[in-house]
Amino acid sequence: MLSEEYLVQQAVNGNQAAFTQLYNQNFDRIHRYIYIKVRDRAEAEDLTQDVFIRALESINTYKWRDLPFAAWLFKIAHNRVIDHVRKQSKEKRAPLEEAYTRSVEDPIQMTERDYEVYQLKVALEQLPEAQRDVATLRFIGQLSIAEVARTLGKSEGTVKALQFNATASLRKALYGKLDG
Amino acid sequence: MASKLDDIFNECYERIRSGESLESCLRSYPQYRAQLEPLLRTTFDIGRRISYIHPRPEFKHWAQVRIESAQRYPRQQARAETPAASTWLRHGWAVAVSAGIVLLLTTGSTMAASSQALPDQPLYPVKLATEQVRVALAVSDTQKAQVETELANIRAAELEAMANAGKTEEAAKAADRYNDQFEKAMAAIIKTEGTEPPPVIVPPTATLPPVVTTPPVVTTPPVVTTPPAITPPPAVITPTENTTPTTTTTPPAVITPTENTTPTTTTTPPAVITPTENTTPPAITTPPSTETQPPPTATRDKGKSAKTEKLIISLNKSTSKGVTALQGAKEKAAEPAKDDWQKALDNIKSWSGDKDTTSKSDNVTQNQGNTGTGGTSQTTIQSDNNTAPSPASPSQNKPSTSNRRSNHR
Repeated sequence: MLSEEYLVQQAVNGNQAAFTQLYNQNFDRIHRYIYIKVRDRAEAEDLTQDVFIRALESINTYKWRDLPFAAWLFKIAHNRVIDHVRKQSKEKRAPLEEAYTRSVEDPIQMTERDYEVYQLKVALEQLPEAQRDVATLRFIGQLSIAEVARTLGKSEGTVKALQFNATASLRKALYGKLDG
Repeated sequence: MASKLDDIFNECYERIRSGESLESCLRSYPQYRAQLEPLLRTTFDIGRRISYIHPRPEFKHWAQVRIESAQRYPRQQARAETPAASTWLRHGWAVAVSAGIVLLLTTGSTMAASSQALPDQPLYPVKLATEQVRVALAVSDTQKAQVETELANIRAAELEAMANAGKTEEAAKAADRYNDQFEKAMAAIIKTEGTEPPPVIVPPTATLPPVVTTPPVVTTPPVVTTPPAITPPPAVITPTENTTPTTTTTPPAVITPTENTTPTTTTTPPAVITPTENTTPPAITTPPSTETQPPPTATRDKGKSAKTEKLIISLNKSTSKGVTALQGAKEKAAEPAKDDWQKALDNIKSWSGDKDTTSKSDNVTQNQGNTGTGGTSQTTIQSDNNTAPSPASPSQNKPSTSNRRSNHR
């Protein structure tokens, strides 16, 4: 399997297939990350697509040494979400839409899953912004501590601390209790 | 202490992500077990919930199509991407198309596989549907022209494949599909010119006579000057001259008004024009010579003509490819099957304007009868008929630029 760095280099040089592969590797998690932050399917789709279009537009300015590709994508996604939320801030936010989960045969199971995703979204929304950013990039985007740190412009130590506190807060929000 | 716990928690989280068990990790830090375990279990739970989120397959698909076309046509596509645009796509008919696709396939791999499907294969309808999404996603006229031209090339390749495989029936259908696509591509190309379909071949009797007649008189002074200028451009004038000895002289004047709008342009279309010249002598001898007017390309402005020509040349090559394959298949076919192959061939020819066949002349007359319906223009293939001798020569199609509805329909 080709390394991500090699693929990125190829994509930077205009290799369409390489970019497509990077797209396929990252699409789902970028989409999850955005979806969990914007709470609306249509918005998530628009933004997800927009992230990749922007990445494509500026891929030739990308430099590996500055930021790993996935982190770069999440940075674009992160900024897009922030812009989006700012724009929407004055508008009345739509009620939580049904979480669209993978279609499952059993409608009851599907409803349960939707609800669990909904709970997670609500729990994340209750976190302080810094914790929420770290939690989404780390647990949903699956970035490493170093990548999260570079994406958010924070030190790794800070990110670890935020991660720890975010997890504790999520636990409380999800299960209603604090441990130790 | 706290910071140490942060590190340990992170370390355990990483270890578990890379396959280690929760228990083995906790064993490494028994003193923190009580604090670590619930938090680590929380991360598991988050991961489980997140795993339920998946993009809709149709969204994922057309997003990919969008990205791919953006890769091909960087600027326009990227700029065109706005929430509004994508919202339109999501809520518009593209959704219906996508939904249809999703019914036909469930994975991206199916989609990828369909891109290679041939008309006689099960995934072919998927391929066609996918192409429609591509067309829908093309925002600007230029993009549309490019996409439609690419699709024409694909249709030609399919036609070639069917012909090479000796599948007469499929080849005939493929020829028909090619014709349709050819027309769409031509219409799209013409649209990029920003002008109405260039009035190239005006049926003598039918449409536009009033406009045409005016030229001699109405033509403004400067117009008069133009004719001589036009003469230089080889292709344009030559046909008329050859065909209509005396009377014909007037027609050129007719053309001038239209061209005047874009004076110099006439010279530009090199490749396109050439065919007309070569062909002119033989076919046009028929009265309708009046129709033979400079190829549409002549009217186009220089800036756009380069792109346009490129697309037209591409279309010409496709036509040649298809015709050559059909001719080859016809030659190889047994005597009784030759007629079938000829039918498929005629379809293509009627568009590209190649000539040898007697039926051609019929086409001409029929077309003349038509007022240039076909939704697009008044122009007909006649000029083509007059021109291009060998079907295989790419140049021949060129004049057919005019959107015409051929008789074969």
